[in-house]
Amino acid sequence: MTKKHFITITVGLLLFALALIACDLCFGSVNLFSLDSSDPLFRTILYDIRLPKTLTAVIAGSGLALCGLLMQSLFRNPLAGPYVLGVSSGASLFVAIATMLISSVNISGHYFMGKSVVTLFSIGGAFFVTLVILMVARKNKNNVTLLLVGLMLGQVLGALQGVIEFISSADNLKTFILWGMGSVGSTTRNDIWFMLPVYLSAIIASFFLVRSLNAILLNDQYAQNLGIDVGRLRLIIIVISAVLVGIITAYCGPIAFVGISVPIASRLFFKTSHHLHQIVFCLLLGACVVLIADVICQLVSNQLMLPINTVTTLIGSPVVIWLLFKSKLNAG
Amino acid sequence: MIEVKQLEIGYKKGKHPVSVFSNMNMNLNAGDLVGLMGDNGIGKSTFLKTITGNLEPLSGDIILNGINLRQYSAQQLAQQLSVVVTEKIGGFNLTVWDVVASGRTPYINIFGKLSEDDEAIVIKALKQLNLLPLKDKLIDELSDGQRQKVMIAKSLAQQTPVIVLDEPTAFLDHTSRHHLFNVLKQLCTEQGKLIIVSSHDLELMKSYITRSVTMAEGNQLEVL
Repeated sequence: MTKKHFITITVGLLLFALALIACDLCFGSVNLFSLDSSDPLFRTILYDIRLPKTLTAVIAGSGLALCGLLMQSLFRNPLAGPYVLGVSSGASLFVAIATMLISSVNISGHYFMGKSVVTLFSIGGAFFVTLVILMVARKNKNNVTLLLVGLMLGQVLGALQGVIEFISSADNLKTFILWGMGSVGSTTRNDIWFMLPVYLSAIIASFFLVRSLNAILLNDQYAQNLGIDVGRLRLIIIVISAVLVGIITAYCGPIAFVGISVPIASRLFFKTSHHLHQIVFCLLLGACVVLIADVICQLVSNQLMLPINTVTTLIGSPVVIWLLFKSKLNAG
Repeated sequence: MIEVKQLEIGYKKGKHPVSVFSNMNMNLNAGDLVGLMGDNGIGKSTFLKTITGNLEPLSGDIILNGINLRQYSAQQLAQQLSVVVTEKIGGFNLTVWDVVASGRTPYINIFGKLSEDDEAIVIKALKQLNLLPLKDKLIDELSDGQRQKVMIAKSLAQQTPVIVLDEPTAFLDHTSRHHLFNVLKQLCTEQGKLIIVSSHDLELMKSYITRSVTMAEGNQLEVL
């Protein structure tokens, strides 16, 4: 891909994302245009509700797409992604455990204490599952086996979460169910300040991996022979993925199919294997997909928000099915 | 160029070392086309992985250009020694250019940007193996013979004095096998590279190689 081609696509995606951000800020149960900009209600809706929601959509979409890209390159498997491989389920289970702990020790009133515990548990859950998947991938190189193990692991973790939900109080159960549907609309401005440093650090760290990620697409032995410390690269990718999936899942719930479908779509549309290009495209495309999903959620009904998972699944699953029929990519 | 001293090769099962072959001694020089022979399971691939730094030796030393292999950093070793393995690569939009350009990995910055000099080296490697017209093709669209040539071009772009090939003829037809060995022989004679190649096709290999290393049962090693 030429530099000019890369810049053109990047600018195009950036403008599209900005247009979607504007749409996402405008749509909602209250018509912002009917309010005066000096009206306190206008400021509350725009700065305290819609802006955090829109920024969360950007962070969740681009973060999950980046995780998917890193995991697909690490496993050299286009079917890898945080949701499909059960990483999101690991984060979810640990969030459920954390929520129970918080309610039992009564620290939910302390903002940072409560959020920190949930986030750390979520990252821990994502880290644990990624490590398990990595161990399976090293033992068995078959793409389908890895996918099935990920799906089964997701089922087991989901069942364990079901047990926790079963023994939870009615209030906790309601929290779990709503959170499990996925939403970018429950974050505050404080939450954004909490997520932003982690999100930006993960993106910056990923750019420093470009050369290694390009080399690992050949295979581990070639990458090692090209001077790449494959073990170190694996560990860094696991940490970045676990932290990003963990923090996004803690705040938005498990969001399906963005992590797997965006890198696939990016490769299919933009025909490049270079990770400097792919990271930029996945970040922008991922943000666009979740922003579109959020806009659709609001268009369906102004009064009752459709769960974002429903929309991302409707967008993402056909992409995955399409992939399964594309043997060329499946051979990756 | 490569000196092997009292080398014992193998792998670790848990914490316990499992010896595959021991008491290996040899001297291999620039310009040699070395054929590595031996029955299946004798340890040819283990030996190749050990001299390329992918596996730790259980004991003994490998001296590359006067320096022990253990003293090389990963990046320094990548500038001395390149490999072509049996495993097929593909998918992920990898083009012929991408794969050959990956040979420049030890020399480029962390963002993977090729300089004009790097690009010139990649083009030269592509030309040497008549791959320039295929540079934008996806690896998945190539024949097995073309793929092997791409991997050798990657090794040329890596500009290493030593190239190691593990079973490079495994997926090739008769004509492609001869073509491949002609290319390897040319690289040894014209560029003074040391090339070590393992193959099951002994008759073919014997008509091209200048040295042979034969591994046999009971740690019997014959270096000619």
